[in-house]
Parts: sequence; structure tokens; C-alpha cells
Amino acid sequence: MDITMRKEKIMQTNKYILGVYDNPDKIYSTTKKLINKGYKVDDVYSPFAIHGMDRLLGIKRSNLTVAAFLFAMTGLTLAVTFQVYVSKIDWPMIIGGKPNLHIPTYIPITFELSILFTAFGMVTCFFIVNKMFWGKNADIIDPRVTDDLFVVSIEIQENKTDIQALNQILVENGALEVRERIKD
Amino acid sequence: MSYESPIRDQLVTGGKTYRDVTRDVTRPLENAPTKSWWIGFSISTLVLALWIGATTYTVLVGLGAWGLNKTVGWAFDITNFVFWVGIGHAGTLISAVLLLFRQKWRMSINRSAEAMTIFAVICAASFILSHMGRPWVAYWPIPLPNAFGTLWVNFNSPLVWDVFAISTYFSVSLVFWYIGLIPDIATVRDRAVSKARKFWYGFFAMGWNGSTKTWHRYEVISLILAGISTPLVLSVHSIVSMDFATSLVPGWHTTIFPPYFVAGAIFSGFGMVLTLLIIAREVMNYKDYITEAHLDAMTKIVMVTGTMVGMAYITEFFVAAYSGVEYEQYAFLNRAFGPYWWAYWTMMTCNLIAPQVFWFKWARTTPWFIFIMSIIVNIGMWFERFVIIVTSLHRDFLPSSWAMYTPTITEVSILIGSFGLFFFLYFLFCKFLPTINMAEVKSIIPTHHEDHGHNHAKGENHAN
Repeated sequence: MDITMRKEKIMQTNKYILGVYDNPDKIYSTTKKLINKGYKVDDVYSPFAIHGMDRLLGIKRSNLTVAAFLFAMTGLTLAVTFQVYVSKIDWPMIIGGKPNLHIPTYIPITFELSILFTAFGMVTCFFIVNKMFWGKNADIIDPRVTDDLFVVSIEIQENKTDIQALNQILVENGALEVRERIKD
Repeated sequence: MSYESPIRDQLVTGGKTYRDVTRDVTRPLENAPTKSWWIGFSISTLVLALWIGATTYTVLVGLGAWGLNKTVGWAFDITNFVFWVGIGHAGTLISAVLLLFRQKWRMSINRSAEAMTIFAVICAASFILSHMGRPWVAYWPIPLPNAFGTLWVNFNSPLVWDVFAISTYFSVSLVFWYIGLIPDIATVRDRAVSKARKFWYGFFAMGWNGSTKTWHRYEVISLILAGISTPLVLSVHSIVSMDFATSLVPGWHTTIFPPYFVAGAIFSGFGMVLTLLIIAREVMNYKDYITEAHLDAMTKIVMVTGTMVGMAYITEFFVAAYSGVEYEQYAFLNRAFGPYWWAYWTMMTCNLIAPQVFWFKWARTTPWFIFIMSIIVNIGMWFERFVIIVTSLHRDFLPSSWAMYTPTITEVSILIGSFGLFFFLYFLFCKFLPTINMAEVKSIIPTHHEDHGHNHAKGENHAN
């Protein structure tokens, strides 16, 4: 799904119109209007997560939850397997006359390892899907977007998008500035 | 930009704008350190030097440098370990449990509380290492193949569980903290003027650009991290308590230990958070972010958990009396009226009686008073661990082996020095990282601040 979308993008221009706002309410209502009018809103950049913006842009709920669950199961399986292998198979020990296979005492370590695997696995996946890594050169839309400004970026489709009308909508809804951006 | 109730008090006062938040929080990072920072940092460095000296001495000489004897084999070391681990519980509790309960007042305090967690766990781990006597073989509790002629570790042992619990807790807390920091590091990066700052903050910001797609995933993983950290916090101190509870020593062998230790950990953790935040709001002028309402909420938690701990002290007595086991009964009578009676009553006064002042609103909203109380709480919680560990051990089953324990100067120096280690790290944190979560705080300040108040009735709700 993602790949076909990207192919489409290549055939079009990489021009974007950016509308800069200073208020999350304003950018939310503007984005809503733009989407209703059929503009292709590429993304919205903000200093904090704007409530409901992800649903408005039609972003599907992330599968990271599934990844988290699978990592938890991996941790759980490894922990149980390892403890059973060590204390039952590899070197059975009798301690205080207790059985070698003592499932209840495996619970704490199994629990801890499930959490450890979930946290690290999920966060690694988060970095991978966002293409984030240490030392990455940020593709900064506007340096003020991590401070106090909100930017909506609308993709321009050649001969289809009426830039004049778009500019008007952005300004009428309180944009501080409207800019063009070319992405490569 | 959720619905803003006209009745509810603002979490951030002083009519701050987004810009103000950024400026206020990045000010200590972008300017030369203040005089008070230098004084604090220098003192903690000196105290840290004491820690380094005393720990090195212990490693060189061996555990003979401590006041342990054949009856009291655990004393200051494990007391300090449990004390620091307990303090390390407030951070994750504030950021994870309060996130799950949607308590938005957590947002201006969670960053420094999480930092505190990480530094406190480092202090705790240092005691585990030094109490081994031979820290260079500290990897032995890790289950490694049978390479040294030794067996595998014993998975029945709570000490082995503790190795897993503490290391998991430390690494997951670190990840949680770092994830929370990324958007704020990006803010510092985008404001940076010098090349070095741009490079280093840019390096750790991992290319963050504030896109909604990223924010969406960010919120998903924050929620899951909170969800898994909540049982993790509870499990860690439960497992620490099992180090004692699964033994047969009267005074330790009780089923009440896990919940009692967890309540105690939250109690002492909040005590330390209050100590640090009351200083921070004065020194860095964060009174609009860490308001009296925050102190009020935190002191309520201190009171509730203090009372829970006090309840546990009394329950222990009752259970000992009711059990009919004379060793158990003696252990508790000895705690309250034996040679260490002063430690027991210090604990009772500081943990059960003192926090009851928080029933009064004045006590919950007066910073200097809360500051004193937070220190009392920490003293009380240190003594709780001392009472549990030393008084249960020093008179064991054979009266001929009864002994007293007195710490040596080395042990006291390590304890004092560990505060140096803690504050050294904390001061560095205050200088190099944003101490308040800017992104989260921005999300709770009113969205119509630029309209100068004439639009208050709007309260648009986009929650759908």
C-alpha cells in the first residue's frame, strides 16, 4: 500500500505548500477544511501531539502494538525455555528437597524478561518505521516547529491544484505565512 | 487541546505561551551556569569524591572495612540499596501510572522524577557491587554457561530474580526517559546557535521533525511503555522485598512484605521528588510550572502511602502476636523495645505520625514546610530499612551469637558519598537536558492564550 503511494508521488511534482500557524485549534480546523475540499494534506508538523490530528489525516492505528505483543511473547518463551533447560535438563539440582521443575519460581524472571523484550523490541521498531537513528540529519520543515509553530504541508498536484485558492484558504484561516517547499 | 473546563484550575499558571515554555525550560541549558548551580555542583563533586574514596578503600581492604560481624552480615549496604531503589520508584510511578490514569499534573514533574529514578538506581546498584566484596566477579549472578567449574545460577533464589528485576527496571526506565526526551532534544537542537550544540543535540534528537505520523506512533509506544512499566515498578520492589520475605529469619518471613515495600518505595520516592522539585522551582524559577497544586497532589500521595506503611508496621506486630511463634514475637518486641529502639521509633515518627500533618491544607501548600517534611520522610524510610535488616539479624536464634552492629566511618562515608553521586548526576542533568517536558507541558496550556482571554467560552472539543 505504502509502495504504490510512493510511486504515485514520484510521477507527480515534489512541490508542497506550507501554511504556518501559531495555534493548534486553527491548524486543526484549517486542515479539516482542506481535507473536505479535496486537497492532499501530506502532514502536519507540531511541537506536541495535537489531539485527533492523526485521525483527521487518516493515519491508521500503528501496528507497533502488535509488535509489542510479539516481543513480549518472545521474551516469555525464551525465559521459560532457558530456565527449564538450565534447571531441569542441563544440570538438575536438588535444593531443599524441592523439585527441579519449579514453575512458580520462574515467574519473576519470565515477567521481567517479557517486559525487557517488549520495551526494547518495540522501541527499536519505532525507530525503524520512523527511520530515526542517532546522528540523522533532520529534515526540518521549519525550526520553529519544535518551539511554538504549527505547519500544515499540502502536496501540489500538477495542473490539478489551484494554488491561488489554496493560498487564500490558508491565509483566511489565520496562517502567519504561506511558503512553497520542494522536497527531493 | 482537549476540552478545557472553566472550573478546573490551570495546571500551568502565569499565562505562559508556548514560546515562554521553550524559553523558560531551555534557559539553564543555553546560558552559563548560575552561581547556585556551581555551588551545588561543587559540593556534590566533593561528596562524590568521598564516595569514590570510601568505595575504593572497601574494594582494596575487603569487607573487613565495614562493621559487619558473623551475626549481622547485611547492614548498611543493603539498607542503602533498598533505600535508593525505593527512591527510584517515584519516577516511573509518576510518568507511567499517572499517564495511565490520565493525571495531567504529572507533565511538569515527570522528567526530573524519571531522571531521579535513573540516578537512584545507579546509586542502588553501586551498593550491590560494593557489598559483594569482590566487585570484579559481579557478573556471577548472570546465568552464564558452566565455564568456571561452577553451576548455573539457582533460579529459586530471589537474589537472582533481583538481578533481572533491577537491570530490567534500569534499562526500561532509561528507554522511557529517552523516548520522552527526544522531542525536547529536538527543540534544543533547533534553537542551538553553536556548532557543538547543534551537533550533539542533533545527534540525540534522531532527526525528529514533529510530523503527525511520528507523533501518532510516539503516543502509541508511550502508552505501551507506560502500560508495561506500571507492573514493572510494582514487581521490582516486590522482588526486592522477597530477598527478605522468602528467608526464614523472624521479622523478614512475612507475606505482607511485597505490598508494604511497594507502598514504602512510593512514599520515599515522592519524598525525594519533593525535595528536588522544591529546590528546582526556587533556583530555576519554575513556580508557574511546579505550582502549589502540584505540591498539594504529591503531599497527598505521601500521606496516603505513609499511612499504608504505618498500617503495615502495626499489622506486622499483630501478625506476630497472633501467630503464637515466640521467635517472631520476640523479633518484633526487640525492634520496638530492644537496643535499637531509637531506630524503630524514629521510623514510626517519621513515616506514620509526621505525614499526618498533610491532612491540613496549609501543610500541603507551604513549600518550606513540605521541604522539611520531605527530608523527614527520607530519614524515616532509611531507618525503616535499617530496622528491618539490622534488628531482625542482630539477635538470632542462639543467644550466644547475639551481637550489636555499629557502622564504621567507611560505611557512613559510602552512604553520604552516594548522595554526592546522586546529586552530581542530577546537577549535570539540570545543565544539559530540559528538566521539564516541554512538549507535554505545551499540550496542557490553554490554546487561546493569544486571544487575551476574550474567547474563554470557546472550549472547542476535537476529541470526537
